[in-house]
Amino acid sequence: MGDPKGFMTIKRKESGYRAKNERIYDYGEVEQTLNEEDRKLQASRCMDCGVPFCHWACPVGSKIPDWQDSLFRANFKEAYEILHSTNSFPEFTGRVCPALCEKSCVLAIHEEAVTIRENECAIVEKAFEAGVIKPTPPRFRTGKKVAVIGSGPGGLSAADLLNRAGHSVTVFEKNDAIGGLLRYGIPDFKLNKGVIDRRIGIFMEEGIEFKTNVNVGVDITKEELLGNYDAIILAIGAEQPRGLEVEGHELDGVHYAIDFLMQQNKVVAGQDIPKDERISAKDKKVLVIGGGDTGSDCVGTSIRQKAQSVIQIEILPKPPVKRDDNNPWPYWPNTLRTSSSHKEGCERRWSLATKRIIGEEGKVKQAEVVTVEWNKDENGNWQMNEVPGSTEIIDADLILLSMGFTQPVHVGLLDGLGVEYDNRGNVKTNDKKQTSIEKIFAAGDVERGASLVVHAIESGRIAAANVDVFIRSHKKVEDLSLSLAH
Amino acid sequence: MPMNELQIKIAQGAKPGEGGQLPGFKVNKIIAKTRKSTPGITLISPPPHHDIYSIEDLAQLIYDLKCTNPRAKVSVKLVSEDGVGTIAAGVAKAYSDLIIISGCEGGTGASPASSIKHAGLPVEFGIAETQQTLVMNNLRGRVKLQVDGQLKNGRDVVTLACLGGEEFGFSTSALIVLGCVMMRKCHMNTCPAGIATQEKKLRKRFVGKSEYVINFFKFIAEEIREYLAEMGFTRFEDIVGRTDLLEVNKEVSNWKMKNIDLSSILYLPKEAKVNDIRNTFPNIKSIESHIDHTLIKEAGGAIKGAEKVWISHNINNVDRTIGAMLSGEISKRYGEEGLPDDTINCTFHGTAGQSFGAFLVKGVSFRLEGDANDYIGKGLSGGKIVVVPPQGSTFKPEENIIIGNTSLYGATGGEAYIRGVAGERFCVRNSGAKAVIEGTGDHCCEYMTGGRVVVLGKTGRNFAAGMSGGIAYVYDKEGNFEYFCNKGLVDLLPVEDKADIQELQEMVSKHLLYTQSTLASKVLTNWEEYLPRFVKVIPFEYKKVLEELKLKELQRKLQLTEDDPSRHE
Repeated sequence: MGDPKGFMTIKRKESGYRAKNERIYDYGEVEQTLNEEDRKLQASRCMDCGVPFCHWACPVGSKIPDWQDSLFRANFKEAYEILHSTNSFPEFTGRVCPALCEKSCVLAIHEEAVTIRENECAIVEKAFEAGVIKPTPPRFRTGKKVAVIGSGPGGLSAADLLNRAGHSVTVFEKNDAIGGLLRYGIPDFKLNKGVIDRRIGIFMEEGIEFKTNVNVGVDITKEELLGNYDAIILAIGAEQPRGLEVEGHELDGVHYAIDFLMQQNKVVAGQDIPKDERISAKDKKVLVIGGGDTGSDCVGTSIRQKAQSVIQIEILPKPPVKRDDNNPWPYWPNTLRTSSSHKEGCERRWSLATKRIIGEEGKVKQAEVVTVEWNKDENGNWQMNEVPGSTEIIDADLILLSMGFTQPVHVGLLDGLGVEYDNRGNVKTNDKKQTSIEKIFAAGDVERGASLVVHAIESGRIAAANVDVFIRSHKKVEDLSLSLAH
Repeated sequence: MPMNELQIKIAQGAKPGEGGQLPGFKVNKIIAKTRKSTPGITLISPPPHHDIYSIEDLAQLIYDLKCTNPRAKVSVKLVSEDGVGTIAAGVAKAYSDLIIISGCEGGTGASPASSIKHAGLPVEFGIAETQQTLVMNNLRGRVKLQVDGQLKNGRDVVTLACLGGEEFGFSTSALIVLGCVMMRKCHMNTCPAGIATQEKKLRKRFVGKSEYVINFFKFIAEEIREYLAEMGFTRFEDIVGRTDLLEVNKEVSNWKMKNIDLSSILYLPKEAKVNDIRNTFPNIKSIESHIDHTLIKEAGGAIKGAEKVWISHNINNVDRTIGAMLSGEISKRYGEEGLPDDTINCTFHGTAGQSFGAFLVKGVSFRLEGDANDYIGKGLSGGKIVVVPPQGSTFKPEENIIIGNTSLYGATGGEAYIRGVAGERFCVRNSGAKAVIEGTGDHCCEYMTGGRVVVLGKTGRNFAAGMSGGIAYVYDKEGNFEYFCNKGLVDLLPVEDKADIQELQEMVSKHLLYTQSTLASKVLTNWEEYLPRFVKVIPFEYKKVLEELKLKELQRKLQLTEDDPSRHE
């Protein structure tokens, strides 16, 4: 603990965003950084709680009070080592994590939580700057081979741990670049892709093999996969977006958010998109359906593409600004969240359900929406009812569907492998993240449904630990001491 | 004296042997006043009990308390440890009404880290041993057993009741109900929940309400009732001590449980068939014939009308704890204020039993012509005690012991003038009394936190050990006092300050006035010669606090004298 009275004398200070009318003209990261002295003071606000709720709330169990103290003492190496001991990618979570830790910080009871996420990010950046983060290839190889399918945070997290344990890891990615949703889902203005490349560079030097543009199941058969590797980790995400089954959803100008966002990220990365495939919001009236994080990313991206106007609608009612009585600290607050993109100029509306999409000559023109009410029925389940006579028409010539993801794509790889699914359509795993096929494990969204980056990282860690145990105890595994002797 | 239960805290379950620690920077004016201490000085609770070295000492203290407030129940807090049953049996025989067994998991807020990690045992061990010992010796019926130590729900209560508990203490869980988040910063004054802090800014953050606690305990009571119903009982007392209702859950099996045999905890002594297994009758020691009943009657006018009375009695050593009940009676009417000085003047002749003048309040003056046993002036609370040798005695008072050990233990105020030498541990834990003595045994002024002590003769070793407040003036005739003093926390200085000289002179003069001491008279007549040989013993911490007070006073005066613009408005 830097200063036992730090939290009393120093106010929470966020680094904030770049000015609105500067940031909307580029795709650079919107968040700013604090100077070193301020960052140190922010770290001193951590009270080193006897029962650290931040640590409890963090899916990867980050030892937050410990590294806050190291940060306060400006020992970035130590801080990074503690941080990295529970999370392979603090530079990702430091940027895009919704910071469950901060919501559970004891100081959050009075709405002045420690700036945990920003402090995390500052540590990694300082550590990289100081050259503390260096590739550390494993000293011995076990001779075991693991295939990781999918290079999102879950897959990469598992790959990193298994590689560090000395196994030879190959990561397969169907797209042209490593990173999964980090690469092609999260916009550049939230996560600069150079941050991913930096980490991948380290991984490559540490000996992880990356194979992009490989569609496992097509380019590599199931038999090849099972024959060549001692274990396989499925980390292909939950890519099946929830569709909008209303009249007019097939019209030109109605797109899934993920397609829109991916294309923009590719453009920023310098790729050319053929004109007829390009989804552009320029000079358009954009309607984003779905009020979550992906929706917010669509808003920010549309604004950067110079949309004429952006409206984001959500089917659920507007959440309260402060915690409700039934949603106490230290649980995740179900309150209104406003992102940097929202502040860049968009209209947000709640309790609106889409009835139909109206088009003209095959092109989208308007959407018909209706106000809905949410009430509990006698069994206590929420029921949605349309308010009679509340139908209205919203003009829109680009509609982006960001209503979440339902499940992993079954067709192809998963069906081909023949893994079992749970009742939500995710790959069914036991507590070891092992699927119904002994050799195949699963990590990330593919087994738990679409969720946060930090959850995927945690899932990858668990899978890696169990894969390690599995292949070491596997009957074909040579004696470890033999491989050490070579 | 509105209290109906008095507790002797021998130790606390989470920190046996060390005690809870209240660091000096947290001790503000209000706390210092309640604890009869000086703001800014570190406090430890319970302190080492230098008045209790045996079960007889404890019995004496229980007797003292029962005399002081005959209506209050006396409880003795013991900790769960090996052998606690034997101690509890002694406590039961010493006429305690309640025995509380405290476990190690609770109360860690003010515990030293070493205690949290390494001291104490779970309450189940202690309560089981206590219950079994008391039942086997047929003592269980006389006392009520209480338990504490991280109890959290109705199930804990029911389990511990089966092991022998009758009353139950909750605090961590109740604190959490009020907003405690187990920060474990109680010792830092930075509690962000506004509970364990004196900081105004932080106290504003306290969000608890009394209703939450009421609700919490209602739920606990309801849960207990459900368990009782499930077990087929209608009254709680029916399950007390019924270890046969407990059994080991065979499904709990891990590497830790594998080698544990709980049968001795769940043992139901065969004496349970004939002896009581719960409290069935009160534990009464008769104090009917106590001399204080007479004193109260004789001092009736003074107590009711504040008129002065003079009383005289012959006593002998079976008259224990003289004055405590009288003091209790006065406190009941006048509270801490007491009566005007010297309203009730009692003179006793003979040998006083233990605890002569215990808890004597303001307005009562005891003069003893004779000698006294141990604990004279225990917890002196404003009264005055004078002890002189009987008239016609021929020995030299300054060379002979006249009062026993542990005198003025834990005194909070008042005065004592003893013409003669005291035994060991004179003025230990004194926090406000002024005393003059002509010589002492070992450990004089140990753990003293306030008050003034003048020693006109030799002292024993270990003088001022752990002394954190108050001042002692010692006449160092041989020039070797330094050798006898424990200088860990104190400074030895010459008496030079004018105020100090005045204070010393006044106390010695009073000693002469009350005791006609030839020694005092010699000192006063040859003041210039004697003064340089006096040594002032003052703790560093206390010195700092006094100097800060002086500085504050100066600043206040300075502000008054300066041309403060606000004064002209």
